[in-house]
Amino acid sequence: MNEKSARILAAVFLLGGLAALGISWRLGQADAVILHARMPEAGGWTPADLTVAAGQPLRLRLTSDDVMHGFAIGQSDQPAVDVEPGKVTNLTVIFDKPGTYTFYCTRWCGPNHWRMRGAIIVTGERVEQPVTPPLYAQLGLDIDARREAQTIPAGKPSTQRSAEIFAQFLLPSAQSYLSPGYYRSRSPEQVWQDLRDDPHWVHYSDLQLWDAVAYIWQANTTPEALAEARSLYARNCAACHGESGGGDGVFIGGQVQVQGEAHGFPPGYETVLPTDFTDPRHLLAVSPAHLQGKIIRGGMGTGMPMWGVIFTEEQTWALVSYLYTFQFEEVP
Amino acid sequence: MKRIVVSWAVLGAAALLVAFAPFNLQPVTSNVERIFRVEAGDFAYSPAVLHVNPGDNVTIKLVATDVVHGLYVDGYDLSVIAEPGQPAVLSFTADRPGTFRLRCSVTCGALHPFMTGKLKVGTNLLLWRGIGLALLAFLGILTLRSPGLPIVH
Ligand code: HEC
Ligand SMILES: [Cu+2]
Ligand SMILES: [Cu+2]
Repeated sequence: MNEKSARILAAVFLLGGLAALGISWRLGQADAVILHARMPEAGGWTPADLTVAAGQPLRLRLTSDDVMHGFAIGQSDQPAVDVEPGKVTNLTVIFDKPGTYTFYCTRWCGPNHWRMRGAIIVTGERVEQPVTPPLYAQLGLDIDARREAQTIPAGKPSTQRSAEIFAQFLLPSAQSYLSPGYYRSRSPEQVWQDLRDDPHWVHYSDLQLWDAVAYIWQANTTPEALAEARSLYARNCAACHGESGGGDGVFIGGQVQVQGEAHGFPPGYETVLPTDFTDPRHLLAVSPAHLQGKIIRGGMGTGMPMWGVIFTEEQTWALVSYLYTFQFEEVP
Repeated sequence: MKRIVVSWAVLGAAALLVAFAPFNLQPVTSNVERIFRVEAGDFAYSPAVLHVNPGDNVTIKLVATDVVHGLYVDGYDLSVIAEPGQPAVLSFTADRPGTFRLRCSVTCGALHPFMTGKLKVGTNLLLWRGIGLALLAFLGILTLRSPGLPIVH
């Protein structure tokens, strides 16, 4: 082989190598899914369903056709990314477990922002896991029934006030009051009534018993859970329910009209206002299981979104305990 | 004739002074805390014009009332994003005098490009200089009226 043909050969190899690189890059681009975001009234996500095999990378090229949106996947640690018009956000995600995941918009892009969701179907061999229904279903609670507390405290119950009464919880007879099973299935009002009827607690005043109810609540949560729930609430709930829980979020003016039947109202269209968590007559009458059920399932037509596919079970319990901070004096 | 030359010279000097003298009306020492609550909604800010003095510590609490909005301060190169229910706070020292545009930093809808406001730092020197020059011109007209007119001594 002379020098000239060696050179040609080298050049051919070089070109071939470059071409292969280019092609593989193109292929890598080609298997990326272009996901368009639009306001829900204009179509939401397109495509709205994505499919990928477990363990395989899902490459996304996200862009917006109108305003700023965000992208996140429910029940995952994947941080949210912004999706902006005129820009492309590249994101690669891998799912280990087969199943159906929900992706959703994380920027308040319009009055129907919370309806902006899509599904990712992850295929693969499924290990059948027994599904436990949520607690409200196990208890057979009707979470659409209206409840109103008959007994409410004269002041805000506090876990800081009556040290003496909390010593009671060290007694074996009081232990069962602190169990999660008890706490979650009873409304604060029922807990108060149970204590009132208990001969061990007969010496305490009504307000002291309310302090004991707050103590039971606090024993079933942690400062970390409350802190996480506080930020989840600010991001996802405050626009409707209000920063201070009063049901007066900035968004209520734009609350979509909903069909009344879903909530036992006479047929026709009307607006259902977000629940006021600062109203003791309401919040003290409902159990953690009821609140969690509502959060998981949503209002089914009332304008209360369903969050079961977005939050983990732990996060829903954290949110429930956070909601009671609008009634009980907060942990310092 | 000599009178007119002198008048011209005096007026001219005064005009130059008014237009270019480096007045430093506000030394940068005020350090006053200024807190604004600015509502962003319906493609507008309310209030849309913020007045502060140079050196003030400015805090803007941005409250979005319909959809996600942002606030970008031209010249200071600062920005925040607020979601409904989640106000955002922008704090800075107004160390550069002048008038700066505020604009929404989030593509929030059709009228997004028109979502603007103003941050005014310091007294508006330009305005005062303008008024000064106008007054001088008026004075000039009075004193330099056509030389043909008889001037009564
Ligand atoms: C788009 C507005 C909107 C958002 C966002 C929203 N809610 Fe609601 N929520 C409502 C409305 C309206 C109701 C009242 C109708 C109903 O109970 O279904 C309600 C009711 C509820 C109730 C039922 C209370 C009861 O006693 O039955 C709970 C609990 C609740 N919301 C929690 C949350 C939490 C937690 C979040 C955030 C993760 C949230 N909501 C976000 C509108 C909203
Ligand atoms: Cu969106
Ligand atoms: Cu805007």
